[in-house]
Amino acid sequence: MQLSDFTSRAGEWLSGEGPDSDVVISSRIRLARNLADHLFLSRADERQKRLVAEEITEAFDQLVGHLELRRLDVESLESIDRLVLLERHLISREHAFASGARTVAFDGGETTSLMVNEEDHLRQQSMRSGFQLEEAWRAMDEIDRRLEEVLDFAFDDQYGYLTACPTNVGTGLRASVMLHLPALVMTRQIEKVFQAVTKISLAVRGLFGEGTQALGDFYQISNQRTLGLSEEEIIGNISSILPQIISFERKIRKELLSSKREVLEDKVWRAYGILENARMITSKETMESLSLVRLGVTASLIGHLEIHHVNELFLFSQPGHLQKVEGGELDSKERDVVRATQVREYLKDLRAT
Amino acid sequence: MKCEICRESVATVHLTEISNNQKKEVHLCEACAQEKGVAIHSHVKNLSLPEFFGQLSDTPTTDSKPAAAQICPVCEIDYQEFRATGKFGCASDYRVFRKELDYLLDKVHGAVQHRGKMPVRVGMEMSKRRQIDDLKRELRTAVDSEQYEQAANIRDRIHMLEKR
Repeated sequence: MQLSDFTSRAGEWLSGEGPDSDVVISSRIRLARNLADHLFLSRADERQKRLVAEEITEAFDQLVGHLELRRLDVESLESIDRLVLLERHLISREHAFASGARTVAFDGGETTSLMVNEEDHLRQQSMRSGFQLEEAWRAMDEIDRRLEEVLDFAFDDQYGYLTACPTNVGTGLRASVMLHLPALVMTRQIEKVFQAVTKISLAVRGLFGEGTQALGDFYQISNQRTLGLSEEEIIGNISSILPQIISFERKIRKELLSSKREVLEDKVWRAYGILENARMITSKETMESLSLVRLGVTASLIGHLEIHHVNELFLFSQPGHLQKVEGGELDSKERDVVRATQVREYLKDLRAT
Repeated sequence: MKCEICRESVATVHLTEISNNQKKEVHLCEACAQEKGVAIHSHVKNLSLPEFFGQLSDTPTTDSKPAAAQICPVCEIDYQEFRATGKFGCASDYRVFRKELDYLLDKVHGAVQHRGKMPVRVGMEMSKRRQIDDLKRELRTAVDSEQYEQAANIRDRIHMLEKR
């Protein structure tokens, strides 16, 4: 399978051009659907999974002319290719490492991805750059409507769309935004955001990070309730709190820039120096350095980089992409060397232009 | 009380650590607690469904049939199996376990009635059903007021709708 073009470009949702891209990296909508007359995946055998995959993949013909889709058989992909798809958010972790018949279809710009046989028979996903939840929802709704013309989705008058796990039942909708909040973390005010967000029953989780600490100051906010609210209400809940978080982060960035400019500049350029010079670098250190560089770019401290460059580096420095470029598996030490080399060269090329 | 790490700020986070059977109290300020990842942790905790069930000791048993006795005729799981895995085996489970589910969904979502979009097909079914119900009411009124010609018309329209 040729996924080599993936190592030189990022999906449109990482373009850094969407609204509020200084703070909001991306917006995502996900819909969970199941076919009414097939067993859910935990009870389906291999033959049944294959039937579901065929029926749904065939239904994607409904989108011809609306979306140009590339279809991949995830089951038969090499593990590195699956990792690449996972890092690009085209498939989920569960979908990448599950077993049995499963496919994915996505468009060239990677804004839409349709996963077949994930936890549910169909997981539809729509991604946008910056704060564009409503746009992502409208696009998703249209795709869902077209698929519904030929697929009989499991639906109950009381419970709505039926899902394998009842935490998704009703709308089957998960709306999320990925935020970059370095100033709030630096000044230890991030806790206030958590409190405000959890109060209106939204979930916050650190992105990339394991356990307690969010790596690189990236946080994801998403809805937890999927039943009893309309899709517009769920999206409205996130959209109503987001402007406050964005302006809070911006205000602190501004304050830091005026009161501690040298300290901030020093942090940012040291981070840049590490990325430009390191001969070995872990994924953790890369994330942390890129977070500071991203802050520097949005605060115009670093002039020759743009947000999309930083976003691309985040993507290209991940294990799947590194191994894809190198054309084979690498252990973690080898990856650190390759990662440092690739980041260094990427930045050198930018300096040259 | 001062924070045990920085010894400057007031301790507002109080933790009880148990290691080697020794109970130890730790008092930290918000900043140091966050540094340790403590405070953040308390807000990002997301329970999986089986964990959630583990915490629910007050799940009501149904009055007539105990939940464990019901088995879904389609995918053949019982409620205990669902509780252990947190996953349903098929769409019918939602019907079979409706009684237990209303309680669970109310806990998880704070609601038991879907209010979002529905498949166009379902929406059409529903509006057809409503139309037929309306016509049936009209039919009754027509018959009651002895307007038989009108009643016959309404009856024909109901037949038409039902055939569609």
